[in-house]
Amino acid sequence: MIIFECEDSADGIFTAVYDAWASRLGHRNVRLQTRALRTRELFAEYCEVCPDGGKAEKVARTIRRRMGEESYEMIYRAAMARDDEKADSIYRVVVLGLSPQISEREAADVIWQLTDPAVCHVFELARRVWHEAHRYMGFVRFRELENGVLFSEIDAEANVLPLLGDHFADRFPNENFMICDHGHAACLVHRAAGPWCLLLDTEPDGALRHQMSANEQEMQQLWCGFCSSISIRERENARLQQQFWPLRFRKWMTENPDFR
Amino acid sequence: MRIEKSRTLYEKLNILSDAAKYDVACTSSGTDRRGSGRGVGNCIAPGICHSFSADGRCISLLKILFSNDCVFDCKYCINRVSNDVERASFTPEEVCRLTIEFYRRNYIEGLFLSSGVLRTPAYTAELLYETLYKLRTEYHFEGYIHVKLIPGAPGELIEKTGYLADRVSVNLELPTAESLRLLAPHKTRQRILAPMRQVQLARTENKNELTLYRSAPRFVPAGQSTQMIIGATPENDYQIISVAESLYRKFELKRVFYSAFVQVNEDPLLPVLPGGPPLLREHRLYQADWLLRYYDFRADELLSERHPNFNVFLDPKCDWALSHLETFPVEVSRADYRTLLRVPGIGPRSAQRIVRARRMGTLDYDTLRRTGVVLKRAVYFITCNGRQMYPLKLDEDFILRNLLQDGKRGIPTETATYRQMSLFDDVRFADTCGLTG
Ligand code: SF4
Repeated sequence: MIIFECEDSADGIFTAVYDAWASRLGHRNVRLQTRALRTRELFAEYCEVCPDGGKAEKVARTIRRRMGEESYEMIYRAAMARDDEKADSIYRVVVLGLSPQISEREAADVIWQLTDPAVCHVFELARRVWHEAHRYMGFVRFRELENGVLFSEIDAEANVLPLLGDHFADRFPNENFMICDHGHAACLVHRAAGPWCLLLDTEPDGALRHQMSANEQEMQQLWCGFCSSISIRERENARLQQQFWPLRFRKWMTENPDFR
Repeated sequence: MRIEKSRTLYEKLNILSDAAKYDVACTSSGTDRRGSGRGVGNCIAPGICHSFSADGRCISLLKILFSNDCVFDCKYCINRVSNDVERASFTPEEVCRLTIEFYRRNYIEGLFLSSGVLRTPAYTAELLYETLYKLRTEYHFEGYIHVKLIPGAPGELIEKTGYLADRVSVNLELPTAESLRLLAPHKTRQRILAPMRQVQLARTENKNELTLYRSAPRFVPAGQSTQMIIGATPENDYQIISVAESLYRKFELKRVFYSAFVQVNEDPLLPVLPGGPPLLREHRLYQADWLLRYYDFRADELLSERHPNFNVFLDPKCDWALSHLETFPVEVSRADYRTLLRVPGIGPRSAQRIVRARRMGTLDYDTLRRTGVVLKRAVYFITCNGRQMYPLKLDEDFILRNLLQDGKRGIPTETATYRQMSLFDDVRFADTCGLTG
């Protein structure tokens, strides 16, 4: 058994898919694993995979062409999950989808073969990641710093920043903004009129992020006032509120009474 | 003549959001629009919830009145002319600034703008139009806008406004024309339906135009909605969902919202509801509404003259299934999509997934669970490859007892139970968060 150990990112996993495939060892004799896992098996051989943009791009393109956009999107989202088995499951799904025995149409439907454990796993991971990303699309709170940058912090389970990057870059093309994910020690940075990028292993400048713009406090007050006046007293229901708005999301949200 | 004090923006927002809170629609759904790259904002079809207020409702839009000054006197409304409440009005500039600044901080998906009738309907509609025009053209706002149409406003203003908004709505207010006459003396059914029809026709025309010229401006792309108050007047559930059904069919509305009556005014014409707003009833109506729109049910399948109100204990779909046991069990490996949809515990998404997954392999109960089927409810009504999950009787009393135990609902009373209920399938949340199914 050879274990391909890769970086925990879409690029890392896709490169490992490429290398494992190209090794011609036979799909049964290889396993994929993300590097964050430090448990090592005694009788296995390890092969370190360096993320390679070119190889990853080839894998991505092949998946798209052969299995379709929907399948690619799901696989990509699954690659963002916090999960120990994801890299290997993704590999199995790609092997199924690229198998020469099946037709083009069947390849696009592989992702629906929920009776297969690897497919099922990828499907569930993709769903979970998207769910979390979708929540953060609503729950991210920017504050305007003195230098005009919109700054926000989250603590996500999955690596949602790439998904948030696409969303917010389309929404705020002309803003400088930054989202720090403490859960992954990573920052999403977007410059006005430019593309977004990820900075890994960084924490934002401590002092800078507490210097607010002149407007900021007023806006925060207006928003907090709005959140309380919009509630109907006769309908108040704290349990319902908490069910939809779990505490773990609230830490950096402006309207959370414990914020600041 | 009222004397307008000069108020701070904070005071105005406080008054005008407080006055807007009884409007229930806060969804930002129905349209997908990528940013142009030159402005601020985009729209995503399932909508996004940004926060939840203390009443558990989703906050998605900056929901405000332009003004709570009103010359009308609707009995149920806090802003009616005969009430002595604090009055305030925004300027178009203030609304734009709030929208943009809130949006940039990702507090909101967009703006929900309504208003009391300031002087005349035409005057009010003009102000709303002006505000939207400024927001779209001067502030380059490309996020979601829902605007109320003011009944009685001139047609060309409605038309112009519709090209700036994503969604428009006219409130039906009450389920029947008689109730409207009684409680909203300045409004008539006809004046409410006229702008609805105008928007419907203009949308059809616009769709044709768009097939010819893809870049033609879009008219109300997220469609129109309406809302009615539940429990202020004596209509039964059957009347209410029949009205909703005909609004969907005849006016092609995207959504009908139901708002449990909250007594804000003392008035001899209004009922006194000792249990507070009829929240459980409202909840059942939303569930039924969901069945009309996504499950291919008709109103007269769910209720009838003899059976005019929903069961407090059971959701409308389980209730329907229990009185149609002859159509069960359904074999999930063969049943068509529409039949699957009628099984309690199976929603549109899981039904779609079942149909796709079974082409690829043999289904089992584990796979069913993974497609999102709520087996706890579905088990009584399905077989998978000829087998039931456990040997269960297809017997009304037996199933009823078990379904009720599952929910641990006990004996509901109007308010108490709603609070205890498991809101797993609460449609209002599912709707705004795209979690249908
Ligand atoms: S028109 Fe009627 S419902 Fe609307 S604000 Fe005036 S009094 Fe209230």
